Order: sequence, then structure tokens, then C-alpha cells
Amino acid sequence: MTMEIRRYILGRLFQITLIFFVILTVLFLLFRLAPGDPVSRMVDPNMTPEDAQRLIEQLGLDLPMWQQYLIYLENFLKGRFGISFHYGQPVSEIILNRLPNTILLFTSSILLAAFVGVFLGKIVSWKKGERIDTWVTIGALVCHTLFLPWLALIIIWVFAYWIGWFPLTGMISAEIWTDPSAGLLRKGLDIAHHMALPLITLFLIHFGSYLLVMRSSMLDTLREDYILTARAKGLDEATIRNRHAAPNAALPVITSVGLSLAFSINGGALTETVFTWPGLGRELVFAVSNNDYPLAQASFLLIAAVVLTANLVVDLLYAYLDPRIRY
Amino acid sequence: MTLCTKINRALLLIAVSVLWLCPPGWAETRQPLRIGLGEEPRTLNIWMASDANSNNILSQIYQPLYRHAPGETEMVPWLAAGPPEMAADGVTYQVRLRPARWSDGSAFTAADVAFTCRLIKEFKIPRHYSRWKFVDQIEAVDDRTVRFILKEPMAIFLTRSLTIPIVSEKEWREVAASARKQKKPLASLFNHTVKRPLGTGPFVLEKWHKGAYLHMKKNDLFFGQGLRIGGRLLGPFVEEILFKIYGTSDVAMLALKKGAIDMYWQGIQPGYIENLEQHPEIRIFSSERSALYYLGFNLRKPPFDDPALRRAAAMLVDKSFIIKRVLQGYGSRMDSIIPSGNEFWYNPNLTEYGEDLNREQRIRAAYRILKQAGYRWTQPPVDDSGKVQPAEGLRLPGGSLMESVTILTPPADYDPHRAISGLLIQQWLRQAGIPASSRPMAFGALLQQVKARHDFDAFILGYGRLSLDPDYLRIFFHSEFDRERGWNMSGYHNPEFDRIAEASEKTMDLEARRLRIYKMQEIIARDVPYLPIYLPREIEAVRTDRFTGWVQMLEGIGNIWSFCQLSPVN
Repeated sequence: MTMEIRRYILGRLFQITLIFFVILTVLFLLFRLAPGDPVSRMVDPNMTPEDAQRLIEQLGLDLPMWQQYLIYLENFLKGRFGISFHYGQPVSEIILNRLPNTILLFTSSILLAAFVGVFLGKIVSWKKGERIDTWVTIGALVCHTLFLPWLALIIIWVFAYWIGWFPLTGMISAEIWTDPSAGLLRKGLDIAHHMALPLITLFLIHFGSYLLVMRSSMLDTLREDYILTARAKGLDEATIRNRHAAPNAALPVITSVGLSLAFSINGGALTETVFTWPGLGRELVFAVSNNDYPLAQASFLLIAAVVLTANLVVDLLYAYLDPRIRY
Repeated sequence: MTLCTKINRALLLIAVSVLWLCPPGWAETRQPLRIGLGEEPRTLNIWMASDANSNNILSQIYQPLYRHAPGETEMVPWLAAGPPEMAADGVTYQVRLRPARWSDGSAFTAADVAFTCRLIKEFKIPRHYSRWKFVDQIEAVDDRTVRFILKEPMAIFLTRSLTIPIVSEKEWREVAASARKQKKPLASLFNHTVKRPLGTGPFVLEKWHKGAYLHMKKNDLFFGQGLRIGGRLLGPFVEEILFKIYGTSDVAMLALKKGAIDMYWQGIQPGYIENLEQHPEIRIFSSERSALYYLGFNLRKPPFDDPALRRAAAMLVDKSFIIKRVLQGYGSRMDSIIPSGNEFWYNPNLTEYGEDLNREQRIRAAYRILKQAGYRWTQPPVDDSGKVQPAEGLRLPGGSLMESVTILTPPADYDPHRAISGLLIQQWLRQAGIPASSRPMAFGALLQQVKARHDFDAFILGYGRLSLDPDYLRIFFHSEFDRERGWNMSGYHNPEFDRIAEASEKTMDLEARRLRIYKMQEIIARDVPYLPIYLPREIEAVRTDRFTGWVQMLEGIGNIWSFCQLSPVN
């Protein structure tokens, strides 16, 4: 590692820490300033004003805002994210329970969409103007602009309800997982079976953007001198496309995939709701709408940390993949 | 064969294998009752549980001493062996218990009952404490007898206090002891994680797979098994229950039609009914609810501090139209705060504002009320010839121009019925010149605005589940509860009402109390701090091809009686 890179990384780490601190503070303020509180939502005539006050005190919301902020900072530095107001469970437990499900579905879908998008983008750019280019590009644009819940419901209706190939929603089948004779393989296949429809939906929504980025990047690359040189050397078309053009054209896609992977940890509230996928995205929406400050704050902080780190990693990866880039 | 072809073939093979290995209905050897839930329960901690789904699950486990039975006006003894015996002093009650066991085999005793009640009092557990704070002493006389001594006679003791779920001392003793040592004991009690609740109910929790399902099994030690309580022979006759979660009602309805669930334990929208009725194996239950959806006014400031204006507004609101068009007929109009299904307490002889009047007649009636009260218009809603016309420039009796008033409603994605009702009411009030506008607001923010800040003109809210005891009348309108976070959200103050409400709370004679409750309903109907609008029906759908025996009562079929009586069709 050169001195320049080391200095660059240290500088970026300092920036990240600073930005993270700002996010930490803004999150605290945003949730406290938003209208409503966790106690006023309880519509039960048995909840007396004294009960409500007692709950507010127990949740620590009766303290002045600056005091709450100091406690929040202290807890954060000690690695304590608190107890969810909504579930009465440690926030870290809830996130750890939901995060793997989100990562499994969304990371797989992004990788699959990126793989297919890059592959098809590479092919259609080589056949620019031909019928395959027209149809695949239109298809990609249509899929990219589809309204996700609508597409999801149509897919569920056709493949799960009408044809019956897949389960309707959820991540696992209660009947199989409560069957004592069901082994690991059967349970694993059950997850794969449940994952198929949300994966297809997310794939259809996302592959178009990767395809379009790759196609456009490939078309730029094809005008480069080294492609002309490769042709002059008498290399065949597949070698020029796969070995010379594609690796250079894939750089913008790498940035896009890197950031998408980072953002994938927040899942997608709509996908997770329609498919009843027990992920973090849906939990995040619940937390915000129920004024569950500890859970919402911790989830957003996790997302912020991953995205900031991913930005740094993508930048470094970029420099590694493209030797022309220097920091 | 190229690499690409090889990959394609491998992927195809994997896909076919998955499909072949996992056909629908893979593990169909058992016959569990499968129930769909709209959301995952929040918790299994009974003291923390305030949401419907947690309470639905826990109601299979933790049991009360007394409960309501279908078709019965009075409470039936459940864990209690008979009605409570009241001593001549009117404040001492003795309750004899049935022989029962906790699901771990240990004996259910009077000590458990005393422990539960003392726990509520000691920790001042929200939502329960208000029902126990007037109880002075709780004693376990022997293993099967509990004695309660009240500070003063209290009518709600049987219906509201003795209906709390009883927990096992064995399960909660250590938790309570540890919570006492904490800086925030109540929070510590709430945050205790319960993995396998110990109960006396018909089912026990086998497993909760977070985010996916809850698995319950029949409790072989259920005290009611084989007994006839409330005129019904109790089971359970179902070996196990699987609760599955569905993120949207659309998918839950598909699951019901496909047979993936036997019942969806959440009220369904009328829009689904027509489609469900095409499936002969699906049966739809439409039940009365104990609920209240209403328009509330802020009586603390003009213009709704004037009862004449509130009565005029009541005249303009066409409840039948809302029920027909917004609720698609699945509801009934409300004229009292107490739902009509609560037959014992409901006063059927109240003022029915605008009943059977058409639009023009309503406007004329409202015009008459306002004119009599001293209101004036630049252009009145009714001209000199008696013809209805657009009204303009409504002036208050003092002469000042009425400023615009806002009706706060929950947003349409939270409750479309209330949001649309707000828009309709806005238009109807404008016909008499009342410059109203409806404003949807996030639910939490709306409650804070109305309940904590008292900063509003009018609002539309509802109580989805009211107790059968009408003590909530006192809580909604007694001046004592007009304070921050109090339930007297309108700021209604009436010494006559307060006096009757206080007396009603302490009246032990049912008939005498009923007269007082009738009077309280009359006063509220006259003064209109709240205008009750509609009572939606509880619509539930079940499959009839696997299980039979659903018991319909107020609030629908999702009740303990159903779960104790359901049995497989074959």
C-alpha cells in the first residue's frame, strides 16, 4: 500500500466518522421532533393519564431533550442500542433476527440482477440497432419502471395461486418446520422455494438498470482505440467483447452494485410487506410509524455505517480495478 | 457444449428439482387448524401486550376468573367455580376457584390469583391498575378461595377487575423480584422476555418462529376440558394450531381461497366479500361489534363550545349515507356512545338527529337551530321562500365571522372509512355555511394533537374494542378526565353528568345502575360533545371443509369459545 493510499484512507475514515456523528445527531432530533410519541398511540380507555405519564417516565422520555441526547450518545459509545418500545426486546436482537433474511433475499437478487444485466448488456451492445437490442432494451426499460407491489401481486396470483408452483408468501412453511421428521435439506429447500417469487420480482425490477448501464458503458468503450487495436490484431469478436471491452465497461456497474449491496441491508418495505418476508425493511417502517425510537435509530445507524463503508470500499476497488485512477 | 449452455442446463435442473421436491401441500399428514394473522404479535409478555395479535395469542394461554359467554348478559365463572360472594358490607368479596393446573403440571391456587392482583397494584401496571387501585386487600384464604376487600363499593369490580388474566406466581415471582431492584421496575417487568408462557388455557405455545409462525398445541391439562361452561361442552377438540402471518389482506384472501389457512383472524373489508362468496367452502360471518366511531368536538374554544352549533352539525351528518356508501352496508348508525349490540346498557330512546330526513330537510333543520341560537349569514342556506341555497358568511351569535374549522381524521391508508367520512362531513357542514375542511393526519400525530395538546376544532376517531361494561362513558366525559392525555378529549364539563357518573360507578344494583347509564347517554345525546356516527360490522371469513364449530358472539368468531369447540370435519 502506497503512502498516498494510506493517507487517502485515513482522510476518508475521518470524514466518515464526522458524517456518522452528524447522522447520529440528526436521527435523534428527527425522531424527537416528529409529531406523536409512543404512548399517545395507545387507544385504550383503560390507559389513564397517570398510566401514560408512568410509561413516559419508564421510557425516559420525560427528561429534557439534551439529557436524552447525552444518554443516547453514552449508550451508543458503549454499544448499547436500547430496548425496543414496541417489542420490549433488545434492539440488537431484533436487528440480528431480521438482518440475515434481508441480506439473503436482497443480496441474492442484486447479484443475480447484476450478473444477468451485465451479461445481457454486453450482448445487446454488441448487436446495437439489431432486433435483439431493441427488444431487450425495451424489456429492460419496462421492467425497471414497473410498480413493484403490482408486479409482486400479479406474480403471486399467477405462480402461487393460479398455477400453484410456489407458496403464496413468507420465508418458510409452518407445516414443514413444525414437522419433526423434516431435515435440514428439506428446510433449506423450503426457504429456496419461498424465496423464488420475491427473488424473481426483485430481479425483474432491478436487472434492467444494470443492463442499461452496461450497454451504455459498452457502447462508449467500443469507440476506444484499444478496441480498434484489438480488431487490427485479428482477435475474434467474442475475445474483444469479453476480454477487452467488458472489463473496462463494467466499472460503472461495479459502483452501482457496490452501493446497491450496501443499501440492500435496509431491504425494501414494499417487497417485504407483500411477500411477508421477515426482513429489516418492514421492521424499519413499523419502527418509524410506531415512534419506536431505539429500533428506528439503530436500524438507520446500521444502514448509514454500511453505506459509508461501502462507499470507501467501492472507491478503493475502483482504483484497484482501473490502474489509471490514483488518489 | 459451451460453458454458457452448461450453466443454463444446471440452472434448469436445479429449478426443476426444487419444484419437484417442494410441491404445494408438502407436509399434509397432520391436520392443524391454520389461522392467518395480519401482523406478528409484538410480545408474549402479558403485561406489555397491548396489540390485538399478541392478545389473541395470549388469550389461548392466560385465563381470567370470569368472562363473557355468547348470549349471556352476565359474566360466567371461568377459572372461578361460581359467582363471587359479596358480604353484607358491600366491599368484601370471596371467590372460590375451580380445580385447575398450570400447563407445567403445577397446581393453580388462590396464591396465584392474589399474586397477580398484587403485582398489578405494586407495579401500577398501565391498562390494569385503574381497575385495581380501589381494591384494598387481597388474601388467599386457602388454596381454592380468594378474598378481596375494596376501599368502597365499585360496580366494575366483577366486570372489569375480575376479568384480568391470571398469571402463575411460579413464572413471575423471580421476574418481579428482579424488577423491584431496578431503577425502573415497570420497564424491567415489561422488558422481560417470555419464551414459553405458563397458562391454564386450552392451548400452550410450542414454538414462535419469529417472522414466520406460531405453533400451539392442545393443553391436556386445560381445566375446562370436558366441562360444560356457559352452556357449552368444552374441548379443545383441535390438536394443534398454526398461526401464520400475512403482510397484506390481498394475499391472506388468496391463502384462504387456496386452503393455506382455515381462518383469517382480522376483520376483512367489504370489498372482498363478493369474491369470497363464489367459493362454496368459504363461509362469511358478519357480527356486531362493541365499537364506536364518532365525530368529536373541542368544547374548550369557539365555535364548537356552543351546543347549538354541535346539534346543527349533528343534523347535517347523514349517518345512513356513510353506512350505505362508505361502509357498503356493513355497519349500523350509532345514536348512543354505547353500541346497540350491548343490549343491557344501550338506551334505545335517544335523540336521533336527522333520522329519515333528506338533504334539504337536514339543511333546513340545521338552519332553524342555528338561527334560533343567534347565528346570521351573509347569504343564509335557506332563502325567504324556504328554498335551499348555497350559504355564505356565517356569523357567530356575537357577530364575528366564523373562522374556518378543521376536522382532523386519520389518513386513508390507516382507515379509509374515517378519512372519507371526514370529507363528506366537511361538505355537509359547508351546506349550512360552516366553513369546515377535513385534514388527514398521521395517527400518532392526530392523537397527540387531540389528546395531549387539545389543539383542534373537531376530529373523527374510533374505539375498535369497547368493554361491555359501560364505565367508559364516565372516562370519556367526566370532567376529571379533561387533562393532558385524558380520555375526555372534547373537554366536556357538566356537573350533572359528573354526579351521575360518580354514582353509577359505585352503584351495585344492576337495574339502578342501568337507569343512571341511560341518563348519562341522554345527557351526551343532548349536549353532543361526541356525535356517534357508525358501528362497522366485524366481517370474518373461514373455510368450512376442515373444521366446524365456530361460535359467533359480539366481536365475531375469534374467541375462546370457538377455540374450545372447534373440531375437525371428519
